[in-house]
Amino acid sequence: MTRTRSPLYFALRRFADNKAAVVSALILGVILLMAIFAPLITPTGYADQAYLTEGLAFPSAQHWMGVDDLGRDFFTRIVYGARVSLSIGFSAALFAVLIGIPLGAIAGFYGGWADWFVMRLIELFSVVPPLLAAMLLGALTNGGFFTIVLIASLFGWVQVCLLVRAQVKAFREKEFVRAAQALGASPGYIIRRHLIPNSISPIIVGFVLAIPLAMMLEASLSFLGIGVPPPVPSWGQMINVGMNFMYFYWHLAVFPTLALAVTVLATTLLGDGLRDALDPTMKGR
Amino acid sequence: MLRYIIGRLLSILLTFFVVSVIVFLMMHSVPGGPFDGNDMPVSDAVKAKLNASLGLDKPLYEQYLRYMWGVLHFDFGVPFQSPGETVTELLARAWPPSLILGGSGVLIGAPLGILMGMAAAMRRNTWFDYVVSAFSTLGLTIPVFVISMMLIMVFSVWLNWLPAGGWEKPYSWILPITAYAAVPMATYARYTRSAMLDVMNKPFVTVLRAKGLSERRIIFQHVLRNAALPLVTVFLPMFIGTATGSIFVEAMFRVPGLGAYFVSSITLRDYPLEMSLILMITMMFCVAYLISDIVYALLNPRIRFGGKS
Amino acid sequence: MTAPVLELRNLSKTFQLPRKGGWFAGYIDHHAVRDVSLTLPRNTILGLVGESGSGKSTTGLMTMRLMEPTSGRILIDGADISALTPAALKPYRRQMQIVFQDSYSALDPMMTLARIVAEPLHIHGIGTPDDQTEQALAMLDRVGLHRSYGQRYPHELSGGQRQRVAIARALILRPKVLVADEPTSALDVSVKAQIINLLLDLQQEMGLSILFISHDLSVVRSLTDRVAVMFNGRIVETAATETIFSDARHPYTQGLLSAIPVLNPRDRRPRRFLTAEEIERGIPRLPGAGTSPALVQVAPDHLVEAVAG
Repeated sequence: MTRTRSPLYFALRRFADNKAAVVSALILGVILLMAIFAPLITPTGYADQAYLTEGLAFPSAQHWMGVDDLGRDFFTRIVYGARVSLSIGFSAALFAVLIGIPLGAIAGFYGGWADWFVMRLIELFSVVPPLLAAMLLGALTNGGFFTIVLIASLFGWVQVCLLVRAQVKAFREKEFVRAAQALGASPGYIIRRHLIPNSISPIIVGFVLAIPLAMMLEASLSFLGIGVPPPVPSWGQMINVGMNFMYFYWHLAVFPTLALAVTVLATTLLGDGLRDALDPTMKGR
Repeated sequence: MLRYIIGRLLSILLTFFVVSVIVFLMMHSVPGGPFDGNDMPVSDAVKAKLNASLGLDKPLYEQYLRYMWGVLHFDFGVPFQSPGETVTELLARAWPPSLILGGSGVLIGAPLGILMGMAAAMRRNTWFDYVVSAFSTLGLTIPVFVISMMLIMVFSVWLNWLPAGGWEKPYSWILPITAYAAVPMATYARYTRSAMLDVMNKPFVTVLRAKGLSERRIIFQHVLRNAALPLVTVFLPMFIGTATGSIFVEAMFRVPGLGAYFVSSITLRDYPLEMSLILMITMMFCVAYLISDIVYALLNPRIRFGGKS
Repeated sequence: MTAPVLELRNLSKTFQLPRKGGWFAGYIDHHAVRDVSLTLPRNTILGLVGESGSGKSTTGLMTMRLMEPTSGRILIDGADISALTPAALKPYRRQMQIVFQDSYSALDPMMTLARIVAEPLHIHGIGTPDDQTEQALAMLDRVGLHRSYGQRYPHELSGGQRQRVAIARALILRPKVLVADEPTSALDVSVKAQIINLLLDLQQEMGLSILFISHDLSVVRSLTDRVAVMFNGRIVETAATETIFSDARHPYTQGLLSAIPVLNPRDRRPRRFLTAEEIERGIPRLPGAGTSPALVQVAPDHLVEAVAG
């Protein structure tokens, strides 16, 4: 007998064929491991001004990315910056999915007034630029980790919701849903057991694509000084500081810029690859 | 058709109303008015008088109504940070640099992006296609201030060809406009490429090839016309969307435009300026979406106008 | 005589379609099903035939309460289920099940076959999860799929195999009534025969009564005991299967019969294609009938729609 293969198996095979996506996944994996095991691979804590005498030193064998203006090892700061960036990205994406799935499922399944209401809600979030709203909220609450996660998930759920809604809408008319109704299954049961499992592809894609958006939001807010408060290192904040030194001490601007660019790019390419693999009909969008 | 437009208009108005109420409430829900800062010690009596003169002692709904009434007459109030002029005057002063920046950025970036996307779609899976794809992904994912940073590092710090900031001389506009053009260019390159590939994979194009039509004629007479629809509809929202990015470009290159005021209005709790900036951008988005929807409906004969199914 | 296991009394369905011309034009009533009455005696197979759009599938869906009838009643074993709440209806759901035409969309692509077939037991809370799986595997075996298929997914099966799974799912609750909505229309001829035989076997073994909806008269002839012909939302003729094929009275039934492809060219009769108007004009005129078309008995157990004339 041949081995049985679930639909997800084929998606995985398609994903493995996409070189850019696989490389992105590997890079992201390395960054993730560095962020998790940050204390093990860095010489000092992120706020330790252990090298005051070497302030602003260029990269060397001892300080891979040099020392910053306050005498802190810059590699340490970059690695801990990944922690901030990734944890905000992942938690915001998680909340976005938690808001987006039920709203999308309800709008797609019930249609009518429920759909109208959810669509107006989405319209509300699409006419307000997230960055402006984030700046306003950030300023009102003086920033901080949770505010940023809140804002990012508040604007990140829209994409997940639309994807889930479209999928549920397409599957609601399928005959296996009719069959379940003929068996006396409740709407809640049908949504839970049939419609959400069949929306797993858009949910995964929505989750992964919400991560870079949240990371960008965090970096932008921190860059403006209303994000994660110092001394906790954030790449956006470090780029802001680095700008003041860029004519003479290039490393303070270049490393956080590269770190942010590489991480956001890798996550986006990973999300694009997953989307192409999970739903071949959406390719290239 | 009329029914569709009126429906969209009503829903956009509702959205705008809700946004304005939420923003208004948020601005007022925070503890602390403009005169609570430590850097500006004011006695309680003076504070009460100031608040009264600015209408801050009235009930909230009345403040909201008064404010919105003014907005309808282009009266956005007086900015706290520079009481000598009205918000309208201040904005009029700050508009030109932002408009030059944004306008030329989009006008340069969008056509370039369309050309790149077309070329990439026609040379699918060649090195050129890969370069365009990589470039457009970069432009769409990396924050504008990172792009600005890279431009400054390369062209100002290392090559020393162009100034890193300022607005006085036209050649100091080159870098900010380039940074600004990156986003529309990347957006359009990506959209054009995928829209064209979508159309090129349709059966009717295969039929045209089978008919013996030259690839050129297929592309220019048939594919482009069908691919244009999504491109038209993203234009306006994207145009407004770049306005958000302007905050960073202007901050990075020290351009005296709207962005600078937006940042200061937030840090200084300047309600009137902050409100008017958010409302203006929201309003522009609303109009942009409305126009896009209508254009889409006009161009696409297949669209269904609601109705009971 | 015992009560029929399924009875439909004066079932009607009216859809409201928006009239062209804007908001105040109102709606047009579209009568998809009008005043349909049917009885399905225990242990028999009733064929419901008609062209697409004749309302036969709508009737099937209303029978299952998957669509709410505008008026009329549905009786299972004499019990009126047409107004029950979903909760009160649930026990009756065990007594009637449905098999659809499109076996591909009838099975959840994310579930294994064992889970699909066990789902009815799960929904009705019958047995432990292990029991449910065991029963599902036994049922798969019964419909001709080896137990090892339990771990497979729908996309790994052929159309005929998927339809077997759908039948297994419908019958695992041992219902009294099965609504088969064109279950063989999407299948190859050889597979079609296998599915028909399977349905016949199961019908005898389980004492099933089947409402068999189809436009395929050759299948209907080999499977059913009685036939009801639907046209334009109405029943226009009912009789025992052999009577319909030998002595059709209604012009629409005659038209349907002449459309059956005949293999031997020498036996071919001239086909008669009738327009809807011709059919309405050709309604039999009988002395005893009323002024508007209604079913009239023309022979024992043979009803035909007729008008006075």
